[in-house]
Amino acid sequence: MTINSTKRRLFSIVFALVPWVSASWVGAGEVGHLAFRVGKVITMDNKNLVLNNAVVLVSGGEIEKVGLARDIAIPEGYTLIDKPEHWLVPGLVEAHNHAAGSMGDLHDYVYLTNPGLRTLAALAPESENAKRGRAGGVTTALMISGSGNNLSGFGTLTKLAGKNVDEMLIRSPGCVKISQAGNPERYWYGVGRSFMYYNLRQTLEKALAYHRMWERYEKGETTKKPEFDLFWHDFREVFDREIISLIHTQWYQVVMSSVDMLAKKLKMRIVLGHSTFEAYKTAPLVIEQGDIYTSNGPRQIYFDRRQRKIMGNAARWWQGGVRKLGVNTDSPVVPQEELSFQAAMACHYGWRPYEALRGITRIPAETLTLENRVGSIEEGKDADLGLWTGDPIDPRCACELTVIDGRIVYDASVRREF
Amino acid sequence: MNTKRILLTCCLLGLGAAHSEAVPPAKVAFEGGRIIPVVGEEIAKGTLLIEHGKITAVGKKVEIPYDAMVIDVSGKVLFPGMISPHTWRGLDRPNENLPVAPYLDVYDAIDPSSLSFEDALRDGVLAVHVIQGNNCVIGGVSRVVRPIGRTPDEMTIKPSIALKLSTSPKTGSERMSQMAAMREAFLELAYYLENLAEARYEAELKKENKEVDVHPEEARTRGRELIRDEDLDDKHRNLVKLKDGRVDAWIYCGAATDVAPAIETAKRNGFLEHTVLVLGTEAYRAVKELRAVGRPVVLPEVLVHQERDPITGELNETFIPKVIHDAGLLYALQPNPSSSLAERFLTYQAARCVRHGIPRRAALKAITLNPAKILGIDDQLGSLEVGKTGNVVILSGDPLDFNTWVEKAYIDGILAYDRAKDERLKVLLGLKKRQREKEKQEKDKQEEEEKKETGEQEEKKEEEPSKKKSTQSPSGENR
Repeated sequence: MTINSTKRRLFSIVFALVPWVSASWVGAGEVGHLAFRVGKVITMDNKNLVLNNAVVLVSGGEIEKVGLARDIAIPEGYTLIDKPEHWLVPGLVEAHNHAAGSMGDLHDYVYLTNPGLRTLAALAPESENAKRGRAGGVTTALMISGSGNNLSGFGTLTKLAGKNVDEMLIRSPGCVKISQAGNPERYWYGVGRSFMYYNLRQTLEKALAYHRMWERYEKGETTKKPEFDLFWHDFREVFDREIISLIHTQWYQVVMSSVDMLAKKLKMRIVLGHSTFEAYKTAPLVIEQGDIYTSNGPRQIYFDRRQRKIMGNAARWWQGGVRKLGVNTDSPVVPQEELSFQAAMACHYGWRPYEALRGITRIPAETLTLENRVGSIEEGKDADLGLWTGDPIDPRCACELTVIDGRIVYDASVRREF
Repeated sequence: MNTKRILLTCCLLGLGAAHSEAVPPAKVAFEGGRIIPVVGEEIAKGTLLIEHGKITAVGKKVEIPYDAMVIDVSGKVLFPGMISPHTWRGLDRPNENLPVAPYLDVYDAIDPSSLSFEDALRDGVLAVHVIQGNNCVIGGVSRVVRPIGRTPDEMTIKPSIALKLSTSPKTGSERMSQMAAMREAFLELAYYLENLAEARYEAELKKENKEVDVHPEEARTRGRELIRDEDLDDKHRNLVKLKDGRVDAWIYCGAATDVAPAIETAKRNGFLEHTVLVLGTEAYRAVKELRAVGRPVVLPEVLVHQERDPITGELNETFIPKVIHDAGLLYALQPNPSSSLAERFLTYQAARCVRHGIPRRAALKAITLNPAKILGIDDQLGSLEVGKTGNVVILSGDPLDFNTWVEKAYIDGILAYDRAKDERLKVLLGLKKRQREKEKQEKDKQEEEEKKETGEQEEKKEEEPSKKKSTQSPSGENR
């Protein structure tokens, strides 16, 4: 602690001595006082407020103030970033990432379902992928294990910056990762849906029984304290709906089963993690359930052979009435920095630009239950911001500056990545 | 009451206005068609009434309630929805790579979006028995579904119909290991039940603070009746139901040699009375054994067995259904969707039976009432009788006529298929292309005519001034 604060003080001195270098200092990682005076602020708050010629003040890692430039004076001691033609948008949020870790540890094939595993064990600070991600304006990600088996463990909610795991970490476990079908088939000599679903249900029911046992004890229905079991304990939050269940699911039958088995019957808080191919046809079932978030990607299009038509997935989900809708990269399948391109693709195939921008900020933040911290520019929230040369959905625009927790973590004026 | 009704009407109207779709009528009357009820005599011109999904009247003269939607079907034929008695289609794969898996349920793998269900509708098959394939020792439980719906729950007519068993060797095994695995499964079940019975007896005594005071063997006997459904684990539950007769056994016999072991297995384990034999092409030769037990059979998809004499090279053909029919067994025909021939239509399979000497009435039953009986759903389906479910196919002609099309299909009295709106069928038959070509031709023709007309007009225009000139000049001259 003392070393840290000494360091901080030292850095402040350096900043004070050479103020001209501060804005372009990448990796300085100091929580400072920043003032953005920009052409447009897309707040992504509940009212969908868009401010023109606005100011955003950042201090102590949080957003201090948001308002029109004429109403807010830049206080003394704030580094002013004056970009009258630029857009300031919330740091982008990735709901489906495999690349924030060592890359070598996608999953362990122990069983067909693997409770007890956590991706936290593979999280790697300052990885190349994290750096690339923030160069694309991405600041938060859910890092999950792969889809080679039906239940590959628990994911990690992380910021894409930090010297060590503790600094990066938002929450672990951040989700349970389940693969309904479409990859686990390769396990053993090959398994089909009738066995996979049966087996998955078995595992989850065992986990639920463990959770119920503890619940009974906590409610005082029994005095016998249950034995702690590391294998099952993480599932307590899953069945309490404290953490989400990120489901690798696509195609009609598979998404239908995820909704029925996991959301409807087991009452889990599920997120449809790919929702590709003709899965959008399940929209009525998804809406009926009410609380399901859909995170579409990496494929943004589907060629419907029956109708001989190209379908934009996001546009079709939207057309079907699904509003809790975002897009993802499945990084590294699509590189992390191309999250905004995923949204652009979705728009190219029929979605709406504002909704698409919401689909990579506010919506994934809600998806990951982090809406109180990230996904919007509101006072008191984490200072996770992207300064763009224009609309992030426009592929001609680039991210110029990325801020995570009030620290500048990418600055194109020092070194442009993309 | 009145206000309630008004409110309800308003709601319905509002709904109707929002979707601009008519609500399916609660009562439908099909008037003026030829009715083939399968049970009872044909009616040359009659009426069929469906109220709230059930058939309430069939006859020459039927009083139609004022609020029934009347559909004129004169010139058409009304036939019960046909039943596909045995298919794995609609699942992601026929079988799992597990020899003994009685805990599986097709419920998990049924894909409502599968094209096979759409094909079933198109072919007038309004109930499908989805069951795992033949490549197993003991497979999962099956269910009968409607070929329409968003989820398996919506589709289900009857769940847990039967467990799939096979006495023909699974891929990678021979008959010895196949039957060893079968025996092992049931011996293991007996062993499991003995232990469970003993534990149950002990548990019941413990409630009264008593200890087991009898020989373990006696405890097992006494405990057998104490076993409840909730005591059973997944691995054994369906096998116990099979032995209790709550789930049927559908045993696949690929060849004649597999029939005796199938009967033996069923007899030894006490479920022969709930057994259906699914026959492979050559299995009909065990007809004596089949007749002896008198159990229902499902006929192979391919109806003709071909055999070449190894010495003379002479080709002998046997029409399997005739052999089974003559043996007096209850049988159902299967369609053969993988065949490029017309075998994919149940009506074609039945027509061939007639060609080979099976009475028409029996052939029609083999695609309707017989499978309903075999599946235990003949109280609901299989014929057009009062009290049964309103599953009706409207055919353009006689079901056995090869030119006949399924025009419409009603499930539970609700329109489920309409050939006039079957876009994919139009594409398959090239009707769309032909229509486009026709439209193009007409357009070209029209354009040509228009061109001609405008050409003529232009000519006229050209002529007109000269005419004017000619008219003018004399007038000018006159002036």
